Amino acid sequence: MTNRDPEPVGPVAWVDGHASDGMLASYAAGTVETIEVWSVEAHLTGCGRCRSAVSAHVDAARLARNRSVLLSRAALGDGGRVRRLLCRCGLPDYLLDLVAATPSLRVSWLLSVVGVLAVVAGEAAAVRYHLIGGGYPVAAGYWPAGALAPFLLVGPLLVLAGVAAAFLPMFDPAYQLTVAAPFSSVKLLLVRTIAALTAALVPVVIGAFVVPGPGWLPVALLVPSLALCTFALAAATVVDARAAAVIAGTLWALPALLLAANHVPLRIVQPSAQLACAAVLLASAVVLYLRHDRFELGWMR
Amino acid sequence: MDEMTLNVSTAAVQVDGLSRRYGAIRALDEVDIKLDRGITGLLGPNGAGKTTLLSILATVNEPDSGRVSVLGLDPRDAAERLEIRRCLGYLPQELRYHRHFTVAGFLDYVAILKEIIDRRQRAEEVARVLAAVGLERRARTRIRALSGGMRQRLGIAQALLGQPQLLILDEPTAGLDPEQRLRFRELLSDLPGDPVIVLSTHQADDIAAICPTVVVLLQGRVRFAGTPAELAATARGRVWAADGRNPDAHLSWRGGDGRWRHIGDQPPAGAELVVPTVEDGYLLASHAAGAR
Repeated sequence: MTNRDPEPVGPVAWVDGHASDGMLASYAAGTVETIEVWSVEAHLTGCGRCRSAVSAHVDAARLARNRSVLLSRAALGDGGRVRRLLCRCGLPDYLLDLVAATPSLRVSWLLSVVGVLAVVAGEAAAVRYHLIGGGYPVAAGYWPAGALAPFLLVGPLLVLAGVAAAFLPMFDPAYQLTVAAPFSSVKLLLVRTIAALTAALVPVVIGAFVVPGPGWLPVALLVPSLALCTFALAAATVVDARAAAVIAGTLWALPALLLAANHVPLRIVQPSAQLACAAVLLASAVVLYLRHDRFELGWMR
Repeated sequence: MDEMTLNVSTAAVQVDGLSRRYGAIRALDEVDIKLDRGITGLLGPNGAGKTTLLSILATVNEPDSGRVSVLGLDPRDAAERLEIRRCLGYLPQELRYHRHFTVAGFLDYVAILKEIIDRRQRAEEVARVLAAVGLERRARTRIRALSGGMRQRLGIAQALLGQPQLLILDEPTAGLDPEQRLRFRELLSDLPGDPVIVLSTHQADDIAAICPTVVVLLQGRVRFAGTPAELAATARGRVWAADGRNPDAHLSWRGGDGRWRHIGDQPPAGAELVVPTVEDGYLLASHAAGAR
């Protein structure tokens, strides 16, 4: 009851140690000074008679409104420590709420974790039972290079799939509301993409540490992953978003499979390939920048 | 709204020669409509083009041809489309939800999309619309735990966020029980600021109860536009009540009182002429369109 901006009124009365009716009415209307509010509230906590009397003066509609606001604030919560920390770092809180509310991020994360675990476990099993072989030995010398091929193929594709899950309309049940809303589609897309990229990259990079490849493998996966996602976004300004994701995936899968078939799977992440990926990343970023208005204020696709 | 003032001196919503096809299906065929502020009911069977028309007015669907003006703004222009969206509350016909959301969380998410950036203001707005649809006690409930009627009320609540000047509601009373429908009618009638409200429904009694204007859409074309009383009047002298069925009538059905109601050109034997309702007028228009 203290959340108000009281305007002082004339002297308020206390009668026989109780608040007068006029005082209680002023208190309920929010027109007594702050110091008097404290006095009244201190008194009300210990006096049943005055509590009963004040309820007759309370504006029921205002009370219901306040109660409703309290309920919804309690339901929304404060977002926890991470959110508070990120807010302190200067990130706008509505963007954090937007990221937290993006359901497809769970899909991105789950897809990536499950995918990486499946590939790594599959590779380990294949090596153990001598299903994979050939090629020259990797730096660690324990596993044949061929064992890396599935991870090199799937890792960046998982990141792409995670990002696609964040921007494809089919993963957004409330897509029609998103289209009909005035919030910048480009901003929404970028926020979701960055969040999904982070969520999907973490398991892939951890997986890259686990598989017995060269020490630089985790870093070497970053540029191709970023290039694929940026290419998919840029392509989505030209063709349907689903088709864009499929094209991007194919552009990675084909050379990865070809190199694996020739027993040189690591070439897909070696310097020449890194340069090619960096060029794709740069070109896609430019296209995305130039054509970003295709995402903005669009019709439903 | 700083630079672009709303032009409401003419019709609040004007549609001229609007057409939209989905492959071989013509959803809207040269539709012309002029709507003023207040509540307009769009009546028509499934597949009549109601949802397509509403989605075009809500700027999520693009027409093939024709001209649309909403609050004096042209949705073909990107900047004006943004202004329309800033004034818009939209309930799609089949609103799907992120099922893990809580009720308040979902509304908070939609409030952000509606550019209500301030967290405190959002909480107040969420509380306001929850109270308006009677879901304030469900603020912390997950959407997957809500009944169909509650989800529909949540859909209505999200459309009310930001006190829109233009409210487009596609089948808002679907799934609501009679008491909730009454409450919904009150809610719409009490909205402040005289917003433009366009709603579609199969329920002729909803139209009769709250809509000063009704548009009947059949097979993608406007077959009637006027007041509910005028729609009912189109069936004047053609609706009879009788104890038995009349095979010559255009339409016959048995009412709750056990008597048969007939719509036709000739009265059946022993029938008495009755005062037509909005539903009679709609059914007659529907029959006439089907006969064409």
